[in-house]
Order: sequence, then C-alpha cells, then structure tokens
Amino acid sequence: MLLRLSGSLREALGSRRRQTVDEWVPGSHGSEAEHLFLRATALFRSGDGETAIRLLRQAIEIAPAFSDAIEAEAEALDMGGDTAAASAKYEQARRLRQVGRPGAPDRHFVLRQQGSHTAEIVAYTRVLKSLKKFALPHLARGNAYLADRQPELALADYERTLKLHPNSLDALALKGEALSALGQYGAAVEALDKVIAARPKDSEALNARGIAHMALGQVEQANGDWRQQLGLLGGRPAASAYVAMRLADHEVALPHLETMVATDRSDPYWKVYLRTALLRLGRPLSADVPVDGDSWASWLLALQSGKAPETEVMARADSAARRAEALFQLGVVVNARDRSAARSYWQQVVDTAQPTLVEYAAARNELARSAS
Amino acid sequence: MFSVIIYGRNDSHGYNLHKRAAISFNALAEVMSDPDDEILFVDYNTPDDHPTFPEAIHDTLTEKAKKVLRILRIRPEQHAHLKSKTHLVALEAQSRNVALRRSNPRNRWVLYTNTDMLLVSRTEGESLSDILGAIPDGFYQIPRFELPEMLWEAAFDRRDPAGNLAKLRDWSVRYHLNQVVHNFMPMKYDALGDFQAALREDMFAIHGFDESMLLGWHCDSNLAARLALYRGRVDTLIDKVFGYHCDHTRVAAANNKGRQTRMNDQDQYIWNVSTPYVPEQAETWGWPDVEIEEVRLDRETSYQRFTAGLDAALKPATVPYTSTSLEWFLYDDLTYDIDHTLPFVADQMLTYPRSTSVMLVGTRGEFVERFLTAWRAMGFTGPVLVPNECEGLPSGLEGQERGAFEDLLPRAEMFVFEFGLATQHADEPVRIGRQAGPLDLKRLRVVTKLFRQATSTESETRPPGRRTPRRFVGVNVIYNKFWPLFTDYVGANINPFCSQVLAGLPRNDPSLRGKVLRFRGRRAI
Repeated sequence: MLLRLSGSLREALGSRRRQTVDEWVPGSHGSEAEHLFLRATALFRSGDGETAIRLLRQAIEIAPAFSDAIEAEAEALDMGGDTAAASAKYEQARRLRQVGRPGAPDRHFVLRQQGSHTAEIVAYTRVLKSLKKFALPHLARGNAYLADRQPELALADYERTLKLHPNSLDALALKGEALSALGQYGAAVEALDKVIAARPKDSEALNARGIAHMALGQVEQANGDWRQQLGLLGGRPAASAYVAMRLADHEVALPHLETMVATDRSDPYWKVYLRTALLRLGRPLSADVPVDGDSWASWLLALQSGKAPETEVMARADSAARRAEALFQLGVVVNARDRSAARSYWQQVVDTAQPTLVEYAAARNELARSAS
Repeated sequence: MFSVIIYGRNDSHGYNLHKRAAISFNALAEVMSDPDDEILFVDYNTPDDHPTFPEAIHDTLTEKAKKVLRILRIRPEQHAHLKSKTHLVALEAQSRNVALRRSNPRNRWVLYTNTDMLLVSRTEGESLSDILGAIPDGFYQIPRFELPEMLWEAAFDRRDPAGNLAKLRDWSVRYHLNQVVHNFMPMKYDALGDFQAALREDMFAIHGFDESMLLGWHCDSNLAARLALYRGRVDTLIDKVFGYHCDHTRVAAANNKGRQTRMNDQDQYIWNVSTPYVPEQAETWGWPDVEIEEVRLDRETSYQRFTAGLDAALKPATVPYTSTSLEWFLYDDLTYDIDHTLPFVADQMLTYPRSTSVMLVGTRGEFVERFLTAWRAMGFTGPVLVPNECEGLPSGLEGQERGAFEDLLPRAEMFVFEFGLATQHADEPVRIGRQAGPLDLKRLRVVTKLFRQATSTESETRPPGRRTPRRFVGVNVIYNKFWPLFTDYVGANINPFCSQVLAGLPRNDPSLRGKVLRFRGRRAI
C-alpha cells in the first residue's frame, strides 16, 4: 500500500515538475521492482534485514534478471549468517551481469559495459544529495543511464555536468553519445566536432562521430573518422578488428581477428567475423570449430558454412540486431555468386539495423563499394 | 593469474614495520597457487648504500614468499626529478605504475594492496588465485577489517602464515573484528586501497595510476573513480575473501601529520574526475624507458654476490686471528691488512647498481688487483676507472680502464680513495711503527690532491644528467692522519677502527673553514 502510494505520488509529482538533480528515476527493471529495491536497501541499512530480504525477493520475482537486487539479498543473507545461500546469490548476480553480448570494443568505454546499473544509479543519486557541484557523480550516473539504454536521462546528467563545467570535453563527448543514442545524429556530430577539434587523438570520439556520420549517410566522413581511429589504436586487436570491419576492410581486419580468435575463446563472434573476412577475401574457411550448441553465433557459423538454411536462421533471430547480423551474413555468403542478392541483403541491414551495429557500417560500405 | 603490487622503502614507516611487512609478504604468498603469480615490491628511493626493504628482512620471509617476490628498485637518482615537487620520500602512483609496466603479462589480474594486509579466503583452502580465476572481468574491492596492534605484534609468528591466517579466522569471531565500513561511491568501502583488484588489461587501458598525484593520499580513491567510470561498477569480493589490516597508528607514519597532513586535492582527484584515462601520461606512465633493477631473494642474492666476490679475491686465514693496536705511536703507520679490509670495502659496494662505474684512486697495486677481482666476481659490470696520475698501479687488468683524472671524473658514479703505503709488501707485518718513505709520500700526495679535487668539484663533475651526489669510500682512513682529511670533505659516520673504512657523500660545509677547504680542493692547493 505504502509502495503504491509513494509510487503514485512520485508519478503524480513527476508529471508536474522537472526531475531534480538528486532525484532517483526508476530504470530498466521497471518502476515497481526498482522501488522495492530502493526501499529494501534503505531498510537493510536501518537494520531490518528480514523485511529487506522479503522486498528484494518480491523485486526479483518481478524482474528475475535484476542482479543488483540479487546481490543486495546476498549481502543481507550474508550478514544474517546464511553464508551458503548468500554465496549462491552472489554468484547468480555475477552470472547475470555477464549475460548478453558486450558492446563493441571500438566504442566508448560506457557503451562496452554489460549488465544493468540500478545500484550505481541509486548510489550516485545519493552522492548527488550532498555533492551537487562536482563532475563525477553526474557523469557516473549519466553513464549508468546510458549503459542501461536510457539516453534521455543520461543526456540530462551530461548537460548538468556541462552547466557546472562548461569546458569538460569528457562530458561533451558523452553528450554526443547520448544524442546519437536518441537518434539526434546531427546534434551528436556537432558536439563531437568540438571534442575532436580540441582532442584530435580521441579515439572513442572519432568512433562515435563515425557512427553518427554513417547514420546520416555520410559514408566518406564516417570512414575518415574510423581510418583515423584505426591509426590511433596502436594495433590493439579487438578494437582494430571492429573498426576495420566497420570499414569493410577485410584485409586489415583479418590479422586482428586471427589474434582474437586465438586469445579470446569466450566470445564466439570472433570466429564469425574471422570467417566473414575470409569469405569476403575469397579465401578458404578453416575447419568448423564448434561453439556452444545453442548459441546464436553457432547458427551464424552454420549459415556461413552452408549448413543452416536462411529460413531457419532468420526464424531464430529473436531481436532486430540478430536479424541484421543474419542478413549481413547472408549477403556475405551469397556475394561470390550473386552480387545483386548480396546487395539486397545488405540494403535490408541498412534499412533496419541500428547504426551502432558493426554490420550496419559494414553493409553501408559494401553497398557503396559495389555500386562504384 | 595475478600480480600483487605493493611498494615501500627501507625505512621505518609507522610502527614495527619489519614485523607487519613480513607477516604480510608471507600471508600474501600463502594465498597464491598459480605458477604465474607474483608479488611485485617496488622499493622506492631507498638510499643507495642500503639494501632494499625486503632484502633487509629476508630472513623473516618464507621460502614461498622469496620465490614469488620480485623487487623492483627505484634509485634516489631516478626519483631526483620529482624531489622538489613533493614532501614525500616514496611515491605511490609512480611505484605502482613501474610495477604494473613490468608485471607478468600472462597474469589476468593486478591486485593493489599494502605491506600490512592479510587476506583470508572465506572458504578454507581456497587460494586467491582460484578465486580470481573464477570471477568475471571487473573491478573488485573488499572492505578492510582492522587488527589491533596487540594481536599481530604479540601473537603472530612472522614465518607461519598459515597459522596466522587460522588465528585470524578465530579472532574475527571471538573479538568481533569484521565490521564493514561503507563509503560513498565510487569508493564503496573505507580504506579501499588495501584491496583493489583490476584487470591488467584495464590498468594499461586507463594509463595506470595518475602520476601527477605527488602529495600522498587518495591515489586509491582516484583509481576507484576512474575504474568505476571505465567498468561502470565497483564489484565486491566480500563473499570470497576478508582483508585484515595490521593497525599501526601507535606511531604516526611520515605521511600522517594529523590535521596538518598535506595531501592530494580530493576535489580534483576524486569528485571532479571525468575520465578514466590520463592522456598526458599515456606514453610515459610506469617509466617504460627507464631501466629498473630487479632484485630477487631466491637467487643471486646480495649475500651470494658478496661471498662470490670475496672468495675470488681472498684466501682463507691461516691463523686464528691477527692483531693491531690504537696506541699513539702507531698513528703515523699507514700499513694495513688487505685481506681484512677488503670485506669492508666490498660491503660498501654491494647495494649499488651492477652497472656502476667506480673510480679507484690509491697507492697499493695489490689493493687494485684484489679489488678488481672482487668487483667482477660480485657481478658488477661497470668499469673500475684508475687515473693515470696514480703511478705504480697495475694496468691492463680485466674491467679496468685508465685515463686522465679529469677525463675519468665525469664518468665515475662512485669513488674509492685508498691511503696506503705504495711500498708495503703482501707479507709484511702490519702496524708495527713503520714510517712512510719518500715514494710512499709522493704517491700519497697525489691521492690527497685528487681526493680534495674530486670532493670539492663533485657537484660540477657528475656524469651528464645525474642529480644526486656520488659516494666516497675511504680505505685506511680511521685513526691515522687521513681521518681528518677524509672527514673534512666527506660526511662519514664514526666507524670502528677495525673496519678501516669510512664512506659518505661530499660535505657541503657552509662555514668559512668549509669554503676554504673547497677552494683549496678546487685549486689543488
């Protein structure tokens, strides 16, 4: 009842006034679960571990992937002496934070982060109650929002930072990322232009501007940024491979992909992309290396080898990103014998995918190249 | 799996440093189980004539600790360019970065802690290597629990880490030691610098610790802020490991002056941090181009080098003892026993870099030969520079270079001045009232003149780029007429006569007498 009342009050007030700097806004796990989390952590600090655990379990029931709530329950159990149960919960929280594909390694560090960041948003909101004039809590909370796919809230925090520290290029670069995530690519380019003018060697800003340019259809400008970024990466294989793939420069990507396949066995996408490069360069594919049976990447690998039909792979693509990945690979597979069909697949990628996806940029470059 | 990075120097930082450091080194080694694990101790700015801190306490370390310990020695000369910018004698960011740069690249993790921490895994028998091997990428911290000074000082056995960790398990319950002190984000916990586990790869990506933090304190919070930005979260390992800190506030450490403590600006280095990176030091952090000496306690130890040098240069004594006397009539007798003196000379050398070039100015050919033998056998690779002005000394020996004093002066990194009698034979009895002959006096005049000149012009004749003064070792300068000469120009301690050797840095005596002495030295008057 109290929860509902506080929630409805908050919502009612929220609709009438602007969010204040030290106000918490629920995020990716939904309002009810996150309110429960917030109340539980407050109760836990005030010594009522039992009620805290109860509320946290309710929150987890609503949002089973809510790793921060699971970790908070682990802490409460641990302090209560149930070490074994606590240990299992801690492990569960860690596992959940690893679920999903991490962000592309050539992107801004915030966009490479995995898992949700509710606890961080709550913690930095608490910091902002007493330290309003400093950059870090604003930026850190903004980053947490951005990583949790709430760019409008992130943008608000970045703008507050810029109001306090107008010369902060770090905040400006993040503002560019948030604008880009909101689809405001022109404004993103404008912000990133200023950052790059002051810091021409800012590799992450170059990457972000490249993505914004590409989203605006400015292929040459995008490629110019990425080529510059490639030169700044000093041969770091993961990031270099991704940038080269955005450029659809398979010759450059190949050695970096080979390195990553050899050194990072946890990410099956390296194998997918290595075979992409080999196919596009007309070189023989290495023997099939199995990855986890059910993983999406194994379907992409099977598609590349001609062992999985298009219909089945497309049926298993359960998100827009995966559909784009599959379409891109279909183009790669078919290109050698039917360029027109390949162009058609890649055009679908460009029409439907997010510009941040490596396949989006690669498809655009493939199309631009095959048209010329 | 992981590299532990700690730092310090051979001094007395805080209370009973030797005991708590030994406890900590041994306990850290005890929780390692991967062959790649290592403890990197950066010995920062210990005076050149001292051994590194772990060498000084090596006998209290376990064999395992000695095996995993790599000591990286940063010399005072390497710190000299920062000396005017800080009141501290050991710099945390520089130390930790030098270690990070040189850490084992096969290790996934870097653990930043300090030399007074003990880590207890919550599952008995589980090593920290196992724990770190099983957790996902991230930035991990744990809370620090305090250990009253009485407990670690009175009850811990330095060489029994397993027993100490068992005691901690018991005490933590009996004495309610485990209190988590939470802190604002991004710090997460109080005293966070005693356990910060980061991916080695992440530390390279963010350019290590911020080396502009020269005033002490908050390096850990700055790192937490930057890694919290980079990783998006600060994770905990409280479910896996507890960390205990040997409390040491009975005596304030050098960096703790109560409310007068100078420290790095919190606003700048914590609350206004806006990026994980430190682009200003992207190419220079951890001093990648500086040659840092590495010392091991499990091989080529100083003791092994010392005995190798002396065994090569000396034959064992054939009598139970020899004797000499302090009686007045022997004051002018400059004979001395090389066999007895050489160990004390070698003792002055051993803590210096192996590449040191030493200038040897003396009178006795036998001393030069024996010194050179010991020098090479101790593993020194730098040349022994002997001025042409010293007549009657052997030439063409391996490792020896001869040249004009003026030319050799800017190449020397250390000096040995030997004041003996050129005519003394190897089998001659020592200190029986022998007077110096004309040839002896002639040679001694040369040594005296060069000594005065070298000490008086030391600061102007240093090797290019060198900022710190060079050390002077005087052989046969106790209780004879060269004692006043040597101590007029060199700030040496009072040593027992039996050692025959004094050493120190050139004196900068501001009195009129000091000025006159330096003037005479410069002009070779």
